[in-house]
Amino acid sequence: MSDDLKEDLKTGRLVVVTGASRGLGLATAATLAADGFRVVALARRPSEALEAAQEAAAPGRITFMAADLGEIDALQPLAQKIRAEHGPVYGLVNNAALGTPGLLTTMPASKIAELVRLNTLAPMVLTKYLARGMMTAGAGRIVNVSSIIAFTGYNALSVYAATKASMIGFTKSLAREVGRLGVTVNAVAPGFIETAMTGEMDEVERGRVANRSALKRLAEPQDVADAVAYLMSDRARNVTGTVLTIDAGSTA
Amino acid sequence: MSLRETVFAEIAAIAAEQEKAMPPITDELVMLDTEFDSLCFALLVARMEDLTGADPFSEMDASDLPVTVGDLVALYDRAATRQAA
Repeated sequence: MSDDLKEDLKTGRLVVVTGASRGLGLATAATLAADGFRVVALARRPSEALEAAQEAAAPGRITFMAADLGEIDALQPLAQKIRAEHGPVYGLVNNAALGTPGLLTTMPASKIAELVRLNTLAPMVLTKYLARGMMTAGAGRIVNVSSIIAFTGYNALSVYAATKASMIGFTKSLAREVGRLGVTVNAVAPGFIETAMTGEMDEVERGRVANRSALKRLAEPQDVADAVAYLMSDRARNVTGTVLTIDAGSTA
Repeated sequence: MSLRETVFAEIAAIAAEQEKAMPPITDELVMLDTEFDSLCFALLVARMEDLTGADPFSEMDASDLPVTVGDLVALYDRAATRQAA
């Protein structure tokens, strides 16, 4: 295959990134666009940072689409709309999540339900509808954003932890389901990363987490975006059902 | 091509691609008795959604699951009628 043809094939590949207006999702969208993918960036509303990333990327590489993923019934029409407007979907990055902290005993049940709906139910249902096209195409990539909190404890994050652990179970079994059709399913498990989600941690707490890590620092959004880009690439063609931890050695 | 012909053609195509040996496809054929496994079935649902825009499995109970190929055709028939309404 010539390099030009390879480039054309890659240019045609479409990846959907959820929660792409900020943090890890934004870094991932920008990195995938730089790698030559076309990106549909889903978020409830656009952000200045996303608009800047769209301008910095090649024209048409990143398209914003407004979506509230918590509206589960709207996910099938959303998947159909993405396909109708942008063509077949090659990859999906399930990144959108709430990071609401709170002690379980005082967290309102409605808040628990909201976390489970957005962090667990929504990615499962969206994957259900977007994976179909990958299955019929015989190729595709699904990357689920989990967290090191899925396998290490952290005070006041029990519900969040449960939702992130669910992404790992989902990843491994779905990888078995769709592997025969050429679709890979993997998860990334970021440690504490400097984003809006961890903005509520104070400096002392951040310093403590950094100090506990093997590399004595926090990983950055770009590190996670690079891991997702690897899993999305042809280089990861024989990697499926796995969890890639990006935490500067916090859990080493 | 009628809905029945489309379903029959897709079942045959998917079975061939997935290297499943299938008896002649008829309305009475019980799908569980064939090599057409759950993954083939998932592929069929995905392709039928592409072709017809309908996905009857998104809104039904497990008790309605089709047993024969004819049941499956009837499900898509009903979904098409709902879409047209």
